[in-house]
Amino acid sequence: MIKISNLKLDFPGRLTLVIDKLEIERGKVFTIIGPNGAGKSTFLNIIALFQKPDKGVIEIWGEDILNLKDKLVFRRKISFLFSRPYLLDETVYNNIALPLRLRGMRDYKAVDEMLDLFRIGHLKVNKARTLSQGEMHRVALARAFVIKPKLILLDEPFLSLDQTYKESLIDDLRGVIKLNEITALFVTQGQAEALTLADTIAVMKDGRILQQGNPQDIFTIPDSKEVADFIGVETVVEGLIVKKEDNLCFVKAGDKLLEVVSAYNEGDSVLVCIRPEDVIIAKHIDPSSARNHFKAKIIEIKPWGLEYKLNLYSGFNLVASVTKQSIRNLDLKIEDEVFAIFKATAIHLIKR
Amino acid sequence: MAYIFEGFKQGIVLLFNLNGEVLAILKLSLAVSILATSIAVGIGLPLGSIIALKKFPFKKVIIALINTGMGLPPVVAGLLVALFLSRNGPLGFLQWLYTPKGMVLAQVIIATPIITGLSLAAVQSFETRFYQQILVLGATTRQSICILLKEIKLSILAAIIAGFGSIISEVGAVMMVCGNIRGQTRVLTTATVLETNMGNFDMAIALGLILLTMSFMVNLALTFIQQSRVKQQ
Repeated sequence: MIKISNLKLDFPGRLTLVIDKLEIERGKVFTIIGPNGAGKSTFLNIIALFQKPDKGVIEIWGEDILNLKDKLVFRRKISFLFSRPYLLDETVYNNIALPLRLRGMRDYKAVDEMLDLFRIGHLKVNKARTLSQGEMHRVALARAFVIKPKLILLDEPFLSLDQTYKESLIDDLRGVIKLNEITALFVTQGQAEALTLADTIAVMKDGRILQQGNPQDIFTIPDSKEVADFIGVETVVEGLIVKKEDNLCFVKAGDKLLEVVSAYNEGDSVLVCIRPEDVIIAKHIDPSSARNHFKAKIIEIKPWGLEYKLNLYSGFNLVASVTKQSIRNLDLKIEDEVFAIFKATAIHLIKR
Repeated sequence: MAYIFEGFKQGIVLLFNLNGEVLAILKLSLAVSILATSIAVGIGLPLGSIIALKKFPFKKVIIALINTGMGLPPVVAGLLVALFLSRNGPLGFLQWLYTPKGMVLAQVIIATPIITGLSLAAVQSFETRFYQQILVLGATTRQSICILLKEIKLSILAAIIAGFGSIISEVGAVMMVCGNIRGQTRVLTTATVLETNMGNFDMAIALGLILLTMSFMVNLALTFIQQSRVKQQ
């Protein structure tokens, strides 16, 4: 339903957006994650016809949208949510009714539906700009869905929201999208949001899609160091497969020999990827199923959300995430010697 | 010094006993300037908005020209209009020279760049993303400009008042275009000049005070608008 081919837009010296081929099915949430300046918003701006690409074809619902006579007809079938709600200085009701009013529609039943759906009925007569951030975002969502769009573009819509509010909003958003089989193009830097909302994730950097796949694959089996870096695999170490027994590879990394379950072969040069949450820290080795355990020295302890991150050195740099409780129970301090433990299946290899 | 005080005293007395002629002058001043402001708004507001919103070649040159126009010396505007309206000028057939219509034209030429320039700046200060949001909510160009103008109505009001203020107090252009014909094209400013030249200081002071009061009211309105915006933020 969305078919993109040979898309190119060049901002000399800043960014070149290149998408050779991309197809998005009807009713699916296609999420683009990537660092700032990757070209994610530019991509959405092209779809919304705010920015004309240098070349390429974008076909949506069988229509070549880059050569439309009237942009308005296309724009009236889609909705676009920005990271700020951009509400008018009017009541909540009037804000949500605005898209209907602009289309000359007389039937405002949908407004009440939206008020219920996004649980803001009680704010109906309030001035929109007197609401809290979270409430304003709910109004913006209601306004976006009141026209029952076939396609919705979401440009970091939850950027300024706190965690709890964000979660309830994402739940509501997902419900509406799935129920109405709306196709969504969702751009975000938040991995948790991407995981909750996406059917397909594409990792974008420097104007290009590096990897595309289902969320589980992207987050567990990145196929390049750049993707691994972005999705939070903090330990990426160069290694060499020196031996293979069945599907168990022995990878030399630094002065250590790691055991990894992988399909690669003896002699392959690889990058060893370990997610911080897959590393267990212990003061003494317990009888454990984890095949890999190494003595490591704590270099740094830093808070990370509700948890802590440990930078360790064990012949190579290794990052582990631990709970506050573990820090206390194990009495972890900088310079301490600990054991870092991880399973052979927790390691992902990228062939170099 | 005494004659100044005496002038003021007489002026204030005159002010409270406005005769028919002064009232007619005041009425004409207001009528001409309000009409000219309305026309200037009709041209400048859409023009400023469109220049601010659309991309086109030489946009910066056009904006520079408008900014120059904002500082256009009224006598230059007066000269231009006088040249065009004179019997042999391209617009001579209109026979507007020495009529209130000519005054309106001269004032429109002075006020339009001011209102265009200030509207342009006001629209440009509006976030692009917000404007895009309005467009993607399904607004036509006209609808989107209406919504946008409503959002920045305070700045627009300030632009209108600035335009009005610039022409109500202007003397050079109206003098050049329309002389100072008693009962026809005599306005507050030209009358003040005349009375001063004739040595009728009391009358000049009365007229000056009226002008000053109007100017004060305009500025008072402006200040209120600005202050209410500060409160909103």
